[in-house]
Amino acid sequence: MTTPAAVSRHRWRRHGTSYLMLLPFLALFAGFLVWPLANSLYLSFTRFDGVTAPEFTGLENFRRLLFDDDRFRHALGNTFLYVVASVGIGTLLSLGLALAFSGSGWPHRVMRTVFFLPSVTSSIALMLLWKWILNPGDFGLANTVAGWFGGRAVEWLATPGLTIPILVLMSVWGGMGYGMVLYVAGLNTIPQEYYEAARIDGATSWQQFRRVTLPLLRPVTTYVVVTGLIGAFQVFEAVYIVFRGTNNIGGVLDSGLMIVPYLYDQGFTHFKLGYASAIAWVLFVIIFALSMVNLRIGRALKEL
Amino acid sequence: MTAAPLLRLPFYLLSLTMIAPFYWMVITVFKPVTEIDRQPPSFVPEHPTLDNFYDPGYSPTQVNPGHLQGIFQRFQVDFGFGRFMFNSLVITVAITAGSLLIASLAAYVITKHRVPGRRLIFLMIVASMMVPWQTTLVPNYVIMRNLGWLDTYQGYIVPALAKAFVLFFLVQFLHSIPDELVQAARVDGAGEWRIWWRIVLPLLRPALAAMSIFIVLAEWNNFLWPLILVQSDEMANIPVALARLNSYFTGAQNQGAIMAGGLLASLPSIVFFLVFQRYFTRGIVLSGLKG
Repeated sequence: MTTPAAVSRHRWRRHGTSYLMLLPFLALFAGFLVWPLANSLYLSFTRFDGVTAPEFTGLENFRRLLFDDDRFRHALGNTFLYVVASVGIGTLLSLGLALAFSGSGWPHRVMRTVFFLPSVTSSIALMLLWKWILNPGDFGLANTVAGWFGGRAVEWLATPGLTIPILVLMSVWGGMGYGMVLYVAGLNTIPQEYYEAARIDGATSWQQFRRVTLPLLRPVTTYVVVTGLIGAFQVFEAVYIVFRGTNNIGGVLDSGLMIVPYLYDQGFTHFKLGYASAIAWVLFVIIFALSMVNLRIGRALKEL
Repeated sequence: MTAAPLLRLPFYLLSLTMIAPFYWMVITVFKPVTEIDRQPPSFVPEHPTLDNFYDPGYSPTQVNPGHLQGIFQRFQVDFGFGRFMFNSLVITVAITAGSLLIASLAAYVITKHRVPGRRLIFLMIVASMMVPWQTTLVPNYVIMRNLGWLDTYQGYIVPALAKAFVLFFLVQFLHSIPDELVQAARVDGAGEWRIWWRIVLPLLRPALAAMSIFIVLAEWNNFLWPLILVQSDEMANIPVALARLNSYFTGAQNQGAIMAGGLLASLPSIVFFLVFQRYFTRGIVLSGLKG
C-alpha cells in the first residue's frame, strides 16, 4: 500500500534525479549563453568602457551605427559583397565537384579527400599560408606564377580593389570541399531507377540533370547555401590574419573591413563595449533571419 | 548521376590548386633562411634543413647571417612552441570529454524521462542554435574578467562546455533507440546514473564518435575567443601563438619558422581526420541532412 505522501516523495525522488542530471548542462547554458545574451542586449543600449559602470544611452548606439558610422556602413557593404560572391561561387563548385567525384572507387575518394583537406586544416595556418603565398616580393608564389605568364609583381594585399576578390578566393578554396561532401551524400540518395526511367523516356543527360538531379537536391542546396551564408557573415580570421595593418583591422582603406572584425576592433581594441554589443545585435538579427528562412524552407519541403 | 569524363577534367585540374598551396607550405618549412626569399624560388629545397624548427646556429647575442630562430626558439616560455601544443591538447580533450558527458546526461533526461518542462528546455536549446555566438563575446569577456578567469584554462574550458548542437544531435539519436531498453534496466533495479553510464552511453557511442570529431577540430583551431581571453604567452593555444608570430615577425625570412608552426598546428588535425574519416563524413551527413 502506498500513501499519497509516499507517491509524491517517490515522484520527487525520480524527478529530483532527472533535474540533477539536467543541471550541469542547463547551468552552463544559462550562465554562458542565456545570461550573456540578455546582458549583451542591455549593453547595446549603453556606453560602456569595461571599467566604469555602463551608462544608459537608449538607442544612441544603434542610431550612430545605422545612420552616422561610415565605417560600419562600409563593413556591411563589404560583408554583403563577400557573402554573396563566396557562397554563390562556392555552392556552384561544390555541386560540380560532387557530380564529378561521387563514385566509390579510389580516384574519386582521393579527390574528395584532397578537396576536403582545408576543412580540417588549422584555419590560422591556412591564413598565414595565403599571406605568404601573396607576399609582395617577386619570390612570392603568386608573383612567381604571374611572372611565368609575363605579369609583373603585384602588391596583392595592398591593392584595395583586390581585397574582396582575394577573400572570396580564399573562402571558396577552403569551403567548397565541405559542400561537396553534403552534395555527394544527397546524390547517393537518388535512386538509379529515376535515371533509367528518364532515359527510357528519351531524356538527354542535361535534361536528366535539370529535371531529376537538381530538384531532388533542393534540400541539400538550401542547407549548403544557408549554412554557407551564416558562416560567411561571421568571417573574421581571414581579415584579421591576412589584411590587418598595424593600426587598422580592415586592411588598406578598410577594403577588407567586415562585421565581426569591426566588432572586435570596437570592443577589444577601442574598448567601446556598448557599441560593440550593438554591432553584435545587428549580426544577431541577420543570422536569426537567415536561420528562420532555413527552417521555413525546410518545413515547406517536408510538406511537399 | 555521374558526369562525363571530359566534364571531369577541369575538376582534376582544380585539384592542383588545392595541392599547390600545401606543397608550398611544406617546402618552405624545409628551406634554409637564405633560400626562402630567393628569386626565382626553388620548388624542391636545395639544402633541406630542420632549422625552421630549431636552429642550432642561432645565437641571441651574436649576429650570424643565414640563421634565425626556429619555431621552438621564438617564444620565451618553457618548452617554447611545445607549450602551446600542450595547452591546445589539454583544452581540446577537456572540452570534448566534458561537453559530451553533460550533453549526454541532458539528452537522456529529455528523451527518456517524463519530467515537466523538458519540452520547453529543449525548445530553448534548439532556438539558441540560431544565435551567432559572437553576440555573447562582450558579456562573456566581462564575466571572465570578474571571475579572474582571463588567461586561465578554466576560461577556455568552462564557457565552451554547454554545446547546443551536440545536445540536439544526441537527442535526435536517442529518439531512435527504443525506450524498452531503459525500462528493462529500471525493472532490474538499476539507478538512473547507472542506466546512463552502463546503457545510454554505450548505445550513444556512434553519435559520440561523430560529435567528438567535430568538437576536437573546432576547439583545436579555435581562435576568436582565445584571442580575447589570453594575455600572457604561457596560456596561448596554437592559433593565438601563430597569430602573435604573424604580428611580431614580418620579414619574408621569418616565413620558414611561421610555416613550421602552421605545419605543427595542421598535422595533428589532418592525421586525426584521415584516421576517423569514415565517422566524420557520416557525422556531417547526419547532422546536415537530418538537422
